Amino acid sequence: MATENGPTLRVVENLAWKLRRRQIVGSRATALETLLVLRQVITKSRFSNMEQLVTIIRGVGRRLVEAQPKEHSVGNTVRKVLHHIREEYHTAMKGAATETYSGFTISKFVLLGQPRKQTVVPKTESKGTLKENDPDDPDAFARSLKPVLMEAIQDVLDELETVYDNVSKNAQNHIHSDEIILTLGMSKTVESFLISAAHHRNYTVMVLETAPSYGGRGMAKTLSTAGISTFLVPDSSLYGLMSRVNKVLLGAHAILANGGMFAITGSLLAATAAHAHSTPVVVCAGQFKLTPLWNLYHEYGALDFGDPNQVLGFEEDGLVDKVDVVNPFYDYVPPNLVDAFVTNDGDHPPSSIYRLIKETYDDEDNEL
Amino acid sequence: MFELVKELNEGADALKQHTSNPIGLTAGCELFIAFVTLFPHDSAQSFSDLKMELVKQGEAYVRQALTYRRKIGELAVDFIKDDSVILTHSYSRVVMETLLLAHKSKRISVFVTEARPRGLGVKTAEALTRAGIPCTVILDSAVAYAMEKVDFVLVGSEAVVESGGLINAIGSLNIAIIAKAANKPFYALAESYKFHRLFPLSQFDLPSHNPRILSFPSPIDPPETSAASRTVSTPLSSITQEEIARNNPGVDYTRPDLISLVFSELGSLTPSGVSQYLVGMFAG
Repeated sequence: MATENGPTLRVVENLAWKLRRRQIVGSRATALETLLVLRQVITKSRFSNMEQLVTIIRGVGRRLVEAQPKEHSVGNTVRKVLHHIREEYHTAMKGAATETYSGFTISKFVLLGQPRKQTVVPKTESKGTLKENDPDDPDAFARSLKPVLMEAIQDVLDELETVYDNVSKNAQNHIHSDEIILTLGMSKTVESFLISAAHHRNYTVMVLETAPSYGGRGMAKTLSTAGISTFLVPDSSLYGLMSRVNKVLLGAHAILANGGMFAITGSLLAATAAHAHSTPVVVCAGQFKLTPLWNLYHEYGALDFGDPNQVLGFEEDGLVDKVDVVNPFYDYVPPNLVDAFVTNDGDHPPSSIYRLIKETYDDEDNEL
Repeated sequence: MFELVKELNEGADALKQHTSNPIGLTAGCELFIAFVTLFPHDSAQSFSDLKMELVKQGEAYVRQALTYRRKIGELAVDFIKDDSVILTHSYSRVVMETLLLAHKSKRISVFVTEARPRGLGVKTAEALTRAGIPCTVILDSAVAYAMEKVDFVLVGSEAVVESGGLINAIGSLNIAIIAKAANKPFYALAESYKFHRLFPLSQFDLPSHNPRILSFPSPIDPPETSAASRTVSTPLSSITQEEIARNNPGVDYTRPDLISLVFSELGSLTPSGVSQYLVGMFAG
């Protein structure tokens, strides 16, 4: 199969190398690139039944995830595409399928309790004429399914491209006049959320500098250019200011299945301080950040580490060999510290994230 | 059909009479009866065919249910880090399966509570030591003392209830509260046939509760009337272990906010996720 898909393999390898070298960073950028690569793979690949198609896509997904395991949106996009493919396939095959008597077993009965899958509006009007494994015409299956798959992928692409607009849709309902909002780091989702709310409301934003990356500085600059009254404050004044803050607004890198999340370092401090003051913590994130993985937060390495030079420069000769410098890039914020996730598909509390995940992805794809 | 369901209910009641702790049994019976009621029987030729089909289904489920412990074990092993110290309670076959599976690929050490009055914790300790896992029995009262050293708590279950809470051997609630206070994760392992449609609001709502539990004995009679009992000790110190066990509960209810995750063969569930499944199963 590798030799048939020569050109597609190159595209996948290119993306894998870019991910490994961290030339593409950031959830949305990686998700978009992955989607484009998957579209090319599906266009160029040859398959005569569903199994082969799923195997091809899974193989691509595995390769990309192994290249950069910390970018969870890569795996999420692959799983989402697989979910859409299966939906389209089942709709197209509906005419041919027969409800078998023995299909109803007690174990399946228990599974009835599973949340209903999100019904993707099917592109095919159920023709039921998909021929699999046709020996005379091996491409018949692929031919009839491909245009439908392209449309499904276009849907996912549209969703990714309109993430910022959809998340900011109800911004004015979350922020009220004369409120003081605290945020940290640089997040495009939070930025568009705040700017959208500024059109309707008059409020103040306090931005933490967020050492050692100092993303807060860029964020403060953008917000003040947009006309929002902004304060840039050092990280150490977080707890002292928290009593004056009405809401804490954070961005997320990935949302885990138990409702917890990975977010930029400093988010855990902000969330804990907010919890101590009973201040609501709202997280703005696109749904492509939903990750069906549970036990990541136990792994110390899941935090991803940045350049230690930012924390303790190499110029400090005396200290360099005596001190072990760690610069974690992400924090794990447990679900009990977050009050609501504002996504492009509505607002959800952390306790119902697992439900969203069951609806968006298929169980068998959790391990690619 | 109606008679069949009536017979099944009577059979279930008879079974429940004969065991001191009917909760797990009730859950399984309810699942089967609900299945029978919702089973599509329009395509059956005759009633006896339907009955044979139901029997076959039941047997197939039993065979499959025996594989659930392994599935849960594999799922839970992912959460066990190398060099973990695990606290477990009493004896549970699911927990045994998980620990033995984890021992194959990771280093673990286990604290087991004695689990009075039945003392099943000793059975767990012996089985684990035989398998080569470092294991110690700790007193039920020493759980808080030992909690600092523990990485997480792993318990089995008699039943998982609709609120997302757990019914398990007495002592589980103690451990859960201490784990919460010490900020340690508390994991419960339960197969899906243990999901029970019960919503206890307090410990005394459990079906296993009877007026005898935690009751005060009648005042001690003067010595001449108790001469009939052949005890050697003085009347004031004749409280035997059996009496203590009789006046104490056998299971307790752990609230869902104390439980971190429930592992079942359906996947890992938050306690709120369990009620989703129950509603789906029984409310159709």
